[in-house]
Amino acid sequence: MTAGTEDAAIVDIQRFSLHDGPGIRTTIFFKGCALRCAWCQNPESLRIKPEMAFYSERCRNTMRCAAVCPEDAIIEEPDHRIDFSKCTACGLCAEACDHDAIRLIGTHLDEETLVAEILKDRDFFIDSGGGVTLSGGEPMMQAAYLKRLLPRLKAHGLHIVMQTGGLFNWAHMEPLLPYLDLIYFDLKHMDSEAHKRLTGAGNEQILDNFSRIVKSGVRVEARMPVVPGLNDDAENIRATARFLGSQGHWALHCLAYHNLGEAKIPRIAPILAPLGMPSLDLSALHDMARRFKEEGIDVIICD
Amino acid sequence: MSLSAINGNKPSSAMTAAAARMDRIGRLKQAVQTAKPGICAERALIWTAYFRDRRNRGKPRAIQAAEALCEVLAHKTVRIYPDELIVGNFVSRRVGGAIYPELHGVAMLREIETFPARDVNPLQVTPEDIAALSNITRFWMPRMLAFKTYRAPWRKMRFLKEQFAPSHYTLNELGGIAHIVPGYARLIATGTDGIIADARTARRQYAPGSENRAFLDAVITMAEGLARFGERYADEAAALARTEKDEARKAELELIARTCRHVPRHGARTFIEALQSATFAQIAINLESLDNGVSPGRMDQFLFPRYERDLARGEIDRERAKEYLSAFSIKMCEIIPVFSETATRMHGGLMSGQAVTIGGTDRDGRDATNELSHIFLEIADELRMRQPNFHARIHPGAPQAYLDRINTNLCGGANSPALYNDEVIVPALQGIGYTLEDARDYAVCGCVEPVVPGKTFGSTDAALFNLPVVLELALNRGRRFGARRRTGARTPALARMRAMEDVKAAFETQLAFQIDRLVRDLKAVELAHRKYHPTPLSSMLLEGCIDSATCSTAGGARYNGSGVQCVGPSDTGDSLYAIEQAVFRDRRLTLPALADMLAHNIPDDGMLAYLRGLGKFGNDEAAVDRYTLYAVQCFADRLAAHRNTRGGPYTTGLYSMTTHYYFGSLTGALPNGRRKGACFSSGIAPGNGMDRKGPTALFNSINRFDFTRLRNGINLNARFDRHTLRGGTGQATFASLLKTYFRRGGMQIQTNVLDPAVLIEARDNPDLHPNLLVRISGYSAYFNDLTPEMKDEIIRRSHHLAA
Repeated sequence: MTAGTEDAAIVDIQRFSLHDGPGIRTTIFFKGCALRCAWCQNPESLRIKPEMAFYSERCRNTMRCAAVCPEDAIIEEPDHRIDFSKCTACGLCAEACDHDAIRLIGTHLDEETLVAEILKDRDFFIDSGGGVTLSGGEPMMQAAYLKRLLPRLKAHGLHIVMQTGGLFNWAHMEPLLPYLDLIYFDLKHMDSEAHKRLTGAGNEQILDNFSRIVKSGVRVEARMPVVPGLNDDAENIRATARFLGSQGHWALHCLAYHNLGEAKIPRIAPILAPLGMPSLDLSALHDMARRFKEEGIDVIICD
Repeated sequence: MSLSAINGNKPSSAMTAAAARMDRIGRLKQAVQTAKPGICAERALIWTAYFRDRRNRGKPRAIQAAEALCEVLAHKTVRIYPDELIVGNFVSRRVGGAIYPELHGVAMLREIETFPARDVNPLQVTPEDIAALSNITRFWMPRMLAFKTYRAPWRKMRFLKEQFAPSHYTLNELGGIAHIVPGYARLIATGTDGIIADARTARRQYAPGSENRAFLDAVITMAEGLARFGERYADEAAALARTEKDEARKAELELIARTCRHVPRHGARTFIEALQSATFAQIAINLESLDNGVSPGRMDQFLFPRYERDLARGEIDRERAKEYLSAFSIKMCEIIPVFSETATRMHGGLMSGQAVTIGGTDRDGRDATNELSHIFLEIADELRMRQPNFHARIHPGAPQAYLDRINTNLCGGANSPALYNDEVIVPALQGIGYTLEDARDYAVCGCVEPVVPGKTFGSTDAALFNLPVVLELALNRGRRFGARRRTGARTPALARMRAMEDVKAAFETQLAFQIDRLVRDLKAVELAHRKYHPTPLSSMLLEGCIDSATCSTAGGARYNGSGVQCVGPSDTGDSLYAIEQAVFRDRRLTLPALADMLAHNIPDDGMLAYLRGLGKFGNDEAAVDRYTLYAVQCFADRLAAHRNTRGGPYTTGLYSMTTHYYFGSLTGALPNGRRKGACFSSGIAPGNGMDRKGPTALFNSINRFDFTRLRNGINLNARFDRHTLRGGTGQATFASLLKTYFRRGGMQIQTNVLDPAVLIEARDNPDLHPNLLVRISGYSAYFNDLTPEMKDEIIRRSHHLAA
């Protein structure tokens, strides 16, 4: 597929998605994110540009990739096949590989194609109270595309959910608001310094955007990825509760940290250092819920 | 000190009665589930004695058939087990099967000594029975149906050789036809007396000595034999009652005696008599021809008038009716089919295909769901036994409470009922000549096949066809890979096929050749049935047979037909798509190179991965799906060009029993990346694990079929992870998913809500889950009764939707 500047960069489209909003949904994972959260579970969605990923466990060393690579970017190491300094992500190696060991992450889709793909399940959405979820990455990185896409989806009566990390220019969000039925908004840390250390950016704009969405009247639900030792301390819980209270918001979705993303890190060009922690177990999440409850906040647990 | 004593009051009598009922059903269930299945020689030996008797030799065939079955019913062991409310034993063992030496029996008899020790579906058999049955093998060898199908010796040999280990198609009709939903409403209404009266009236029109008259005489004999069969239980129950010490049980036995004295000879007066009458007929029909696919049908409909009346008179309450229906349902597990090892591989899981249909509309299109429909749904959930198979009809006017109850069953892992869409099936039946009123009265027969109760002689499982092998023939000029003998048509050499159209032309030629061959063989079998194995009992419960004085095997029933199942459609379609992509688009290899590679079982892993990575049916991609639709369309078109010898159409079904495993084991490598011997996909489903985009995409692909051409039914076995469906939202989503599938024109679906961990545990430690029920192909089986390969297949499939 040719990469038009008008097109969206998309990592994946997942149909029959049951955990990204109400009912049966199709979730669009946009590529590109402004944050670099240390615990990111989708590191392949961070860069906006297409990139190659190497699945060493699938590789049978046929070296068909080397034969087709125009940039001489294929190297022969046990766990690595791609010299990312030379790779231009043209995708020829992925096409040549029979074993699906090299994949091109990020396809460009025009609105027409994406709308058609989404509409395939329209009847299932309507009856189940489901719809489309814009996820990522950070969908707001492609706000210009969304500005064209959302009216078209809405014209078909679809329920639209956005999942956002909150770091965006408000002017980009404003025109999208009439089309959004629900926004899942991540609140990762209340202390801006800590936020910057953990995600690469301070939280001022994020908190400001949250307030603005609350004021806009669009339904928003706050979410917090609970990462042991990084944002589950008493101080942050209190500060988060205080912030939510100040917004007239009394509920929070808590998501358990999973280390599933770490296996993906070595497959792509270096971008994050693995945290090397076990996943959070459910009992710890229930403990968080109890502690938030003491601060007056109801927690919805998402395991 | 008991809890009730602490509370100072006794449990209410209603509560103790309910507890006693639970206990009784629990005990009946346990007795049946712990009984080791075995073989009963009675039917075979009595049948043989009748046909060996010189006095019977000159009689018309219909008379012979009636008299032989009457002999069986008059002399077989009669048993009334403890706790039983509904009586009638299929065979002398608590759970067992009969042998039909005149039909498929000789194949079984050859293997009989191996039955107790074989790995899959072992069957107990006593040394005395082995000896007795061994003695009759020689008598039946030249008399069995397969032997009599063709007269010319070389044809006979070809046919026998092929059908003992079928690879291109298997003719189930060789084992007997059965597969009816008998007109139990008729039997309940008038009893055998009414049938005899009708036959006597019709008889006057036919001259003595005529075949028609002989058939009606056979019906009269048979009806009388059935009535007497009931009376044997009346005698037995009365005898037991005389010596019974327990007063409550004594009263029960006396009621049984009164009931069996009255039915099936007379019209049923009560709900209990109606159920008992149908039960006797169900047993007798199973002993007449092959014990397969004899389906009670719309029980919630034909039992309801008497239930309602008894309820109004205070003669029965809901719980008591449920107890009787539970007892009946448990009884349906007492019969199992006796199959040879080959047949077991094709129809695994001890499946006898007794289908009960609930819900739907009446003949005028009004919703017909009633209290009995709900009771059956509860029974399906509570018993979770192999038989009967429960099938629920769904139509736009179906009450929400009914749909909710179904959803509770399915999400809870009962894996029953299977669901059928009236809006698709009724017009499909009208398309082959059913009146609208009759079509609205359809019930499921055997696995998934829609027929009209008491009117259709459908032979719905006449044959199963190996579709992928047709492609093998097309890629090798009519020969199997590695074979010298040509078993297909002579199609062009691969080097001369320049475009996809050439491949399709060769495929169509080979397909037509095989279907025509199948139909020729099947017609010979049909004529052999008509000539040698009339079925007066089945016929008297099918409208039209008495009026026309013609046996159902000779086309006497109101509606006729034969169902042929197309096995491996998505393997075939995906293979055609792979040829288009690999040879004509990607040009990865030439057609001769592809064939050579397939003949060598795809030795190159890279090529295998490439072929497997190509698009596959079931992912909502029109360009890919169209080849599977095409393959099925070609099949259905060619089949529909023929009519059977009973004047009915041949209809296409997309369900596979376990032949997708059996045929797969005999078929070479395919261009879709399936290696030699691997199993095909089941029924209408995509290849194992090949539907990568979830159930909505799968349903959209499935709904691309023109179901009006798949009139013999489809089987879509969708598996769901239990985890996905937990909680209220999970259940609501599931209900919505199925509802939308139907609203978009889906024909049928059955679901398996499974926990993969439990299946793996059951495979590794069979003793931990002795009665784990799974859906196979329009029917349920206990996991432990499956072959190791089938178990693995179920586990694999339960995983792929688990994401």
